[in-house]
Amino acid sequence: MYPWKRPVGWWLRNPRYLLFQLREVGGFVSGLFALLLLYMLVQYHAGPEAYAGFFAMLASPLMLVVVAVLFGFVLVHAFTWFFLLGKAQPVRFTKKPLRPGTVFAINVVLWVLVSGAVLFIVFGGL
Amino acid sequence: MAEREVVFRVKRYRPERDAAPTYQDYRIPYTDDMVVLDGLNYIKDKMDSTLTFRWSCRMGICGSCGASVNGKLRLTCGTFIKDVRSKTVVVDPMPNFPILKDLVVDFDDFLQKLLEVKPFILRDEERPLSEGEYLQTPEEIEAYRQQSMCINCMLCYSACPVFGASEHFIGPAASALAYRYIRDSRDEGADARLDVLSTKTGIWECTFVGECSVVCPKDVDPAAAIQNLKVIASIRHMRQLLLPKSAPR
Repeated sequence: MYPWKRPVGWWLRNPRYLLFQLREVGGFVSGLFALLLLYMLVQYHAGPEAYAGFFAMLASPLMLVVVAVLFGFVLVHAFTWFFLLGKAQPVRFTKKPLRPGTVFAINVVLWVLVSGAVLFIVFGGL
Repeated sequence: MAEREVVFRVKRYRPERDAAPTYQDYRIPYTDDMVVLDGLNYIKDKMDSTLTFRWSCRMGICGSCGASVNGKLRLTCGTFIKDVRSKTVVVDPMPNFPILKDLVVDFDDFLQKLLEVKPFILRDEERPLSEGEYLQTPEEIEAYRQQSMCINCMLCYSACPVFGASEHFIGPAASALAYRYIRDSRDEGADARLDVLSTKTGIWECTFVGECSVVCPKDVDPAAAIQNLKVIASIRHMRQLLLPKSAPR
């Protein structure tokens, strides 16, 4: 009997495996993004100078790239999960399950609405 | 029907002489109505009788002839050579399983897992035959019909990277079959199955890659079955936590 050995780079052999890996890495990166936001709150609590210093640090080219990459992974994580929700649907609100594309669209619309509401509450408008 | 030629590049492993699997090429004639399994049988009958592979029904029911065809997991009886759209048809044994010989892999591990989830109707107490059949409404049948289509072809295990990384994972087909019986209105064995399924190497090891459902030739959707099982197991756990006297143990 010849034992199975998973090949190196298995996740590059199928685009869906690659998307899965990006989703999983996206989960970790979303955690880092949350830590960054938490650090922002800490600086906010420390006073106006610390808060201004935090934003000055964010404005550096390196941090702009880092934040853009983090945000990209957060989007991949969110959108891939929105799509999976439609495939699983353990909780059904209708007699026939909704199509995955419909569930995806509903989640994206809700996400945009909630984000808009949060922005409105925090900044008093977009 | 016009006859053309194609090269079959087949993975060979003969344990008595090979240290590792290698490919062997066979140039064979084919017509538009030939499937990959026909090609393998042509090689076996006319060119090389030592080539070893599993097959039985030739009509997508027995689930014996799964393989990787040009990197895609398929039943070879349901894959037309012309649809491969390549001058070379590369046939590999199903990934994630040890190879016994050529395209034949070892399924013993799955068979053991299948037994553990008790893929049959369990009753606390059997009704006497004189009381007649256990009747079901069309809606009750629909609740498990999709998962009852599983033919144990194992393509879902080959597609599952979680099983590829951890052979202890109970896997898609066994979970889907467990779900099939849990959803059956005649069955009373949900708790016995959830004891096996709701463990670290059971449904909670699934990270929802979803490829098992993509490759399933019978549209069983094991990925959705596992997510549904997670909900059922969570509700059961919360009942045990909050209502310990009424919840089953």
